[in-house]
Order: sequence, then structure tokens, then C-alpha cells
Amino acid sequence: MPARILIVEDEALVAMELRFVLEDLGYEVVGTAADSAAALKIAKETEVDLALVDIHLSDGPTGVTIGRELAVDHKVAVLFMTANPGMVRNGVVGAIGVLSKPTEERIVQDAVAYALDLRSGAVRNMAPPQLQLFEDGPRA
Amino acid sequence: MPDTSPDRPSWTEAERLAALRDYEILDTEPERAFDDIVDLVATLFDAPIAVVNLIDEGRQWFKAEKGLGVRETPLETSFCAHAILEADRMVVPDATQDPRFACNPLVTEAPGLRFYAGQLLKSAEGLPLGTLCVLDTKARPEGPTDIQMKALEVLAAQVMTQLNLRRSLKHQQRSQAEFRAIADSMPQMVWSTLPDGFHDYYNARWYEFTGVQDGSTDGEGWNDMFHPDDQERAWARWRHSLETGDPYEIEYRLRRHDGVYCWTLGRAMPVRDEAGRIVRWFGTCTDIDDLKKMDQAKELLSQELSHRIKNIFAVVSALVALSARQYPEAKPFSQALRTRINALARAHEFVRPHSDVSQPLMGDMTLHGFLAALFSPYTDDEGKPRVRISGDDATFDDQAATSVALLFHELATNASKYGALSVSGGHVEVTTKEAEEGDFHLAWRERGGPEVKGVPQTAGFGSSLATLSVEGQLAGKLSRNWNPDGLEVLIELPGTALSRRKAARTLTTS
Repeated sequence: MPARILIVEDEALVAMELRFVLEDLGYEVVGTAADSAAALKIAKETEVDLALVDIHLSDGPTGVTIGRELAVDHKVAVLFMTANPGMVRNGVVGAIGVLSKPTEERIVQDAVAYALDLRSGAVRNMAPPQLQLFEDGPRA
Repeated sequence: MPDTSPDRPSWTEAERLAALRDYEILDTEPERAFDDIVDLVATLFDAPIAVVNLIDEGRQWFKAEKGLGVRETPLETSFCAHAILEADRMVVPDATQDPRFACNPLVTEAPGLRFYAGQLLKSAEGLPLGTLCVLDTKARPEGPTDIQMKALEVLAAQVMTQLNLRRSLKHQQRSQAEFRAIADSMPQMVWSTLPDGFHDYYNARWYEFTGVQDGSTDGEGWNDMFHPDDQERAWARWRHSLETGDPYEIEYRLRRHDGVYCWTLGRAMPVRDEAGRIVRWFGTCTDIDDLKKMDQAKELLSQELSHRIKNIFAVVSALVALSARQYPEAKPFSQALRTRINALARAHEFVRPHSDVSQPLMGDMTLHGFLAALFSPYTDDEGKPRVRISGDDATFDDQAATSVALLFHELATNASKYGALSVSGGHVEVTTKEAEEGDFHLAWRERGGPEVKGVPQTAGFGSSLATLSVEGQLAGKLSRNWNPDGLEVLIELPGTALSRRKAARTLTTS
């Protein structure tokens, strides 16, 4: 069964491109959400393995809270993808790390593979150097 | 025109009167210090009358008198009005024999004055104010003795010393009152301390702003008025200024009367005496809370703007990828374009104005930090960088950043396709050097890659972009050496290339 991924991103074009990249890689994108309400609704109704979360969403800088809730309450692996990684420099409880946007397909691919490995407990892939791992986050 | 001829005085009556009035002595109560002097003069001369006489407009007024019983008389009958036209002193042994006084009613009628000796009272500026004089109803053809005249001179000087002290004291009080009036009307808080830093003065604005009781912040009490987090820092600075005499300057939060802490700029300067010793400190506190808030709002705006810009990069990058999806043959093209866009986005992240929050997660805000971040995708199996940076580091600004980002992005992309980064074990040495005359040299040397077989037949767009970045944007020189063991790229930049803004500023301020 392919891993189920949730995209939390308010820029439709960025979300769409990310969806295509992930689907090309064989993942199932269970939904894209542009704000916190939509994101948490999907998480409640659907099984999610991994969430890629932007910080600035259509309802403000709510990504940090969403990421924490997804990780802590819904046991989802969480990666932040943001243009302003400084916002989460001190880490977010339960989340793995942060990618600086814009990034490249190859990096997204490696980061997603690493995050899913962590979740399954069998780490085969190295984290790409562009992925800033949170100090207190889940580690291999 | 001042007249300096011997029989006309060098001062005008208006100047003289102004000087006299500046002493603020006329019509004051009798004082012991002056009374004692006229008593002493009368005794020394064994004469019935002695006066400290000041020549006012139309009258002569006596600060002290013995034997007259009045405080003033008209000028017409004055002996002293004549005396102030004489050099320093005037002696009339017998008025009946002196054509100037023979017809004077005080001589012809009661009290029948005969003898006069007066010593001029001169202001510090040399203007005659009046006399210390002695009178007798008996003529003294033999005149006064030398000792008597010497005593008169000394005592007249004593009178002037008394008057001058009085005047200085008055001036000082007036300048203090003026200082207070100015200080109290200032929108700033003003304070002053003794040389050891003991606060003994605050203006009205201080008490108005802080709402504390008059005098309650004297001594060391001022420190409690500041935010607990700022108190130690303020003490340290203040102690430093007290020890060294360096001007004091600090930004701290001062508690307003309503309990709200407001950002304040504190400054103080020492006042020194002729010997250079600090005699006092004068300081001000200026409310800069609004300015601070504006700064913070500006910072927020700048962060928001920068976030938008980076978001636009992400959107453009996504748009390129989405557009290329329909044309599989365009995929390499779109990927190359996207990596270039990403390099520019990274450059933006590095050079925009930063606060603590917005600082990039990794690396310093310098050329080396930037290059390390740019080359971070190129690592060997152990995670060690394959592009090794050494040499002099430098700071650079937003104008240079895009060019530097494009240049090194193209060099690295090229190396990963054809050069040292295309095979495992290959690496690149990047050296940076501050050359003479402020120029900046960068060298890119590929090692351990495939053998280079001379200059390539065609130059790609990537290498044109690299050249354009250096020679077009940065006004530098780029040269390539296709050495067999690896490509060598040498870049020479003028010193101003990396921080053009700073260079422009230096030019305008010098």
C-alpha cells in the first residue's frame, strides 16, 4: 500500500506541483489543505502517514500549530516546507524537520523517503543535507 | 565713538549706570559689612562723616553712612559726582578755597562742609560706580596722612570685593534659575549628578513622566525606575562612564507613571573644570518608544515582504514545473531553470535585512556561509562537502548576491554534468582572497574529475550566464583555464563589487 501524504499549502500552484511530484513517485496524496480547519478535517477523516506543512497559510501563520497537532494528536510524520524556516528554528514538538522553499524534486523525494523510514522504524535512506532536522524531533 | 581724550571719560553715563544697576545694590537695606567699613573710615580719619556712596541718575545713594542721617541726596550738591571724573581719588582740604565747591550750599550753609577725601569705587570692568569717602566740617589744610589715604584705598577695594561677590552670586543664581527654566520647559527629561554619580537634580519632565515624588530618585534611586532586565546593564555602563569620563549612552526601558515601561534613550556628558576634573554630569532621557515601535513595525513589514518574495520564487518554480509537465522533452530545460530560480531564492534569503527570527538556519551571513549553503547538495558518501571553501571571507549585499548565486550555481551545475563533481572522488577547491588595492579574487579549481581535453567547441548558456554575472553585473573579470587535470576559473572583482551600497555610502559621506 502506498504511503498516504497530506499537503498543507495555500499556494494552489505549489500544492499542485507537489502533488504531481509525489504521485509520480508512487505516493497517494490524500488531500491538499489551504488552512488549518481543512487540514485537521482531513486528518480526522482519513489515515495520514506524512504531512508536508507550510507555515503561512490562508488563515495566517497557523502551520506551526497544525504541524504540532498532526504529529502529537494524529501520530502523523510531519515535515515543514516553508519560505521562512526561521519561524521554526527552535523546533516543533513531534515534527521531524524543515525544508526551505523553493526546493527541488530530488530533495523532496529524499526528505519524504527519510520521513517515512523514520515512521516505519527502518531507516534505509539518509536525510538530504537540505533538510534541517529539529534537535528534539524524531531521529533515526 | 569712544572718546579717549584725557579730560573726557572713556565710558558713557549710560554704560556706567547699566553697570551700577547690574550690581542690584541700590535701595537695598543697610548691611553690617558696609556699616563697619564707614565706621572704621570715620575713626581712621577722626572725621564725623563717612559714606559708601553710589552715584545714580540724579541722586547719590548711600549703601552705608555715618554722620549724615539720610540714605540719599540730590546730585547737584555732590562732591562725589566730581570725584568720579577724577582718576582714582580726590582730596579737598578746604572747600571754601576750591572753586568747584566754594558755592556749594553744603559748604556755604549747614552742615558747612570743608574737608573731603574720596576713593573711587570701580567695577571689575573699570567703570566708576561711586566712592568711599570721608567728610569733615573743619578744613584740613595739611590734608590727610599717607596712612589714612592708604587705608581708604584698601577699604574701598574691600567694598568693591563685597559688591563683586554679591554680583557673582546673583549671576550664578540667575543662571541656575535660567537653567531650571530651560530644563523644565524641555520635552526631554534632564538630570544631573555629582562627579561620583550621585543624582541630585531632575527636571519637571522627569517627575511628570515617572510620576514619582520630588527627590525620591535622588542618589542611586534612579536605577529602580528602569526595567529589571535593563538595570544591571545600565549600572555597568554608568559605572564605566564615571570611571573613564566617557560619554554615557544607553537605550533602556523607563517606567512611566502608569506603570508601562517605555523605551528611552539615555545620554550624559561630563562637565569639567579648568584643570580637566569632572565637576558634574548632565544627562537626558528621551522617550523613543514610538520610534522603537515604528522600527518593530518596519521589521515586521520587511519580514512579510521577504516572505512574499520567497513565496513568489516558489510559485514561479512550481509554475515552470507544471508547464513543463505537458512537454516531457522540456523536462531537462525546466529543471535547469528551476535550479537557477532556487539559487536566486537562496541568495535573497541570505542578504535581506535580518532579525534574530528571520536569520537563515545555517551558516553565517558572509560569502563563505552563503557559498557553503549553495554547495550543500554536493556532499560525498560521508556527508563531507565536495566543494571546499578557504581563504578570506567577506560580507556582501543584496545587489551582489544574485550575481554571485548565479555564477556559482552555473559552475557547480557544469561540474556536476561534465567536471569534477560528475564522478565520485572528484572535488572542487574554492579560494577567496582579498587582493591589493581592495580587489577581491575568487578561484574555482576542479580536481579529480575526468581529464579535460582542451577548450570545449561550444559554450553553453550556463557559461555565458557565469560570464555575464561577473563581467556584466559585478564589473569584474572572469577567465577559464582548461587545464588537463581540471577546469580552473579565475574571477577578479573590484573591491566595491560585493557591497556596492556600502561603497556608495562611503563615497557620499566622505
